[in-house]
Amino acid sequence: MPSSSTDDSPRSDRDSAFTATALPHLSTIARVATALTGDAADTEDLVQETFLRAYRHWHTFQPGSDCKSWLATICRHTFAELRRRENRSVAVDDQELESLAAARVHSTARAKGVDDMFARLDLGPAIAKAIRALEPHYRDVVLLVDVDGFSYEEVASSLEIPVGTVRSRLYRARRHLQEALLDFAIDAGYASPSYTLPPNHPGERRNA
Amino acid sequence: MPDRAECEAVVRQLWPFIDGVVSETQREFIVDHLEQCEPCNSHFDFARAFLEAVHEARPHFHVGQGLNERVMAALAGAGYRA
Repeated sequence: MPSSSTDDSPRSDRDSAFTATALPHLSTIARVATALTGDAADTEDLVQETFLRAYRHWHTFQPGSDCKSWLATICRHTFAELRRRENRSVAVDDQELESLAAARVHSTARAKGVDDMFARLDLGPAIAKAIRALEPHYRDVVLLVDVDGFSYEEVASSLEIPVGTVRSRLYRARRHLQEALLDFAIDAGYASPSYTLPPNHPGERRNA
Repeated sequence: MPDRAECEAVVRQLWPFIDGVVSETQREFIVDHLEQCEPCNSHFDFARAFLEAVHEARPHFHVGQGLNERVMAALAGAGYRA
């Protein structure tokens, strides 16, 4: 095992702390890795690399802070780095961030009391207006996929762009649309803020 | 109740999962998680309702009357009869 030049504590203490604090989260990190890679062999590689990096950089972990989140962050960064290195990722980070953004829109809608707006309101005209207001490269993709039901591959072929670009544009377009519809519902007077947010969950804003 | 790190990993796959482009391993993992986690499940339900509303807005995207007439005229010129 390599030792860190910036870690002045005796090695046994460091190993003891790592064993007691980091290793209990192995199962959790394996689940995170499974969600990221979707492949059993890749999951094992990713978990191994995550814990190797965590061990090497253990001196940067703040005792008493959330080790599980620290490890999950290392896992995600490692995954993104490995994907870039393997040159088979097209803006995976961006696509995942758009998914998180969609959850945040939902949290805001819930906080404003309009999370049931799709069931409660006739949003057809507002949706059409919002789609027309999108930049053309976003508008084309969301029309083809979400309105007309074409697959990513069909749209990629039609527009002569990579499938990854279709996904990136689509997810970004969806976020713009969700935000526009949320504004519409609030501006139309349907907001009724009354919901207490469960704290500390993905998508939840503090002080929303 | 799943922990926050697992929730975040699942929510990061929200759109790919709903669009059906995740692997079978990912799909099973996410389905299991959603069965246990109401907050995450509600995010996914909201996203599905949004997509359904967008799809149902399809009638609002009919082609313009001018284009329709132009196409019909061109077809008629080629021998088409409505």
